[in-house]
Amino acid sequence: MSDSVKMSLKLFIITAVAALALGVTHAVTEEPIRQQNELAGIESRKAVLPDGEEFIEVDTARYQAEYPGIIEVFEGRKGSTEVGYVFKILSKGYGGNMELYIGINTSESKLDGVTIASHSETPGLGANAAEPGFLGQFYGKPVISPLTVVKGDSGNAEEVEAITGATISTKAVVEGVNEAILFYNQVLRDGGEAR
Amino acid sequence: MKLSKVFINGVLNENPTFRLVLGMCPTLALTTAAINGIGMGLATTFVLVGSNLAISLLKNFIPSKVRIPAYVVIIATFVTIVDMIMQAFVPALYESLGIYIPLIVVNCIILARAESFASKNSLLPSIIDGLGMGAGFTVALLLLGSIREILGSGSWFGIPVVSEGFSPAVIMILPPGGFITLGLVLGLLNKLTGKTEQP
Repeated sequence: MSDSVKMSLKLFIITAVAALALGVTHAVTEEPIRQQNELAGIESRKAVLPDGEEFIEVDTARYQAEYPGIIEVFEGRKGSTEVGYVFKILSKGYGGNMELYIGINTSESKLDGVTIASHSETPGLGANAAEPGFLGQFYGKPVISPLTVVKGDSGNAEEVEAITGATISTKAVVEGVNEAILFYNQVLRDGGEAR
Repeated sequence: MKLSKVFINGVLNENPTFRLVLGMCPTLALTTAAINGIGMGLATTFVLVGSNLAISLLKNFIPSKVRIPAYVVIIATFVTIVDMIMQAFVPALYESLGIYIPLIVVNCIILARAESFASKNSLLPSIIDGLGMGAGFTVALLLLGSIREILGSGSWFGIPVVSEGFSPAVIMILPPGGFITLGLVLGLLNKLTGKTEQP
């Protein structure tokens, strides 16, 4: 057998074994990974709607054109009572896309929490939007009307304090939250057309 | 060569970051905080030990003319398997190290050690070399990450360490800060070890 044939054959064996190993690993890990992702999804929903125990996806496909930022909406339930909604929203920040989780408590008509799942904002500036110091502001805000951004101290309940030097990142979060508020008021709230 | 020497070699004489100047992409991109340095360092060590082990075992099987493609396949396979297994069975670890794992595929330290050490040495020294190189890489990333985090964010491992009056220089955690810190630390180390070349 010539050298080059031997060489090709050995390289073929290596790649075949590698492919086999990858295939077996994939088959073994596929189900656990799916479960982990599901669990992580429930965790991130619970983080913004602590009362929710079960989350049922709401079909939002027909509102896609009107509300382009909405990725997913879940109805949070505790037993058989509805406690609120969780929105997964895509917003445009300074460095790129931002993924937000927003929880609205229906019985009290207030925000129950906002978290940022992923972002690419500038470290030290816009990235501070993901810090509890900023996101904590949203807790308990009324969801009657859209929130506005202010520089300096916020006086009213519907105002959010901007992060110094990161107005665009602040606005991206607030716009995402406002889209959820709007969708909640227009579509989901009692008498909304979706119900 | 004594095993302890192999280990020390990876940390000091042939420190992958400061001596071999390998793996610059993750080094510059990830050292914005000390904790990232530790994370990337540990993930790399893990993969390095595994790939050195595999290459060392297969060194007589791999024909020398096609060794580079063979190494690339073996390393990429190993990294992908580690990635999938971690994601499936140790989600807590995956959450902290997971984002670094795919970056390791493009880390040339792994390939360099496969080529220059594991393919010429037996199993145990190869594993020790992986540990040593990994430790050296971790120490280097931790050092750079600490400098940049303290100067750029005013904190270390997320804990504020500077006094009120200090205003952090954000540029240190942006890409230019990576180059500045790496350049200065490399220059300082060369000066200290007398390895400067006369112009």
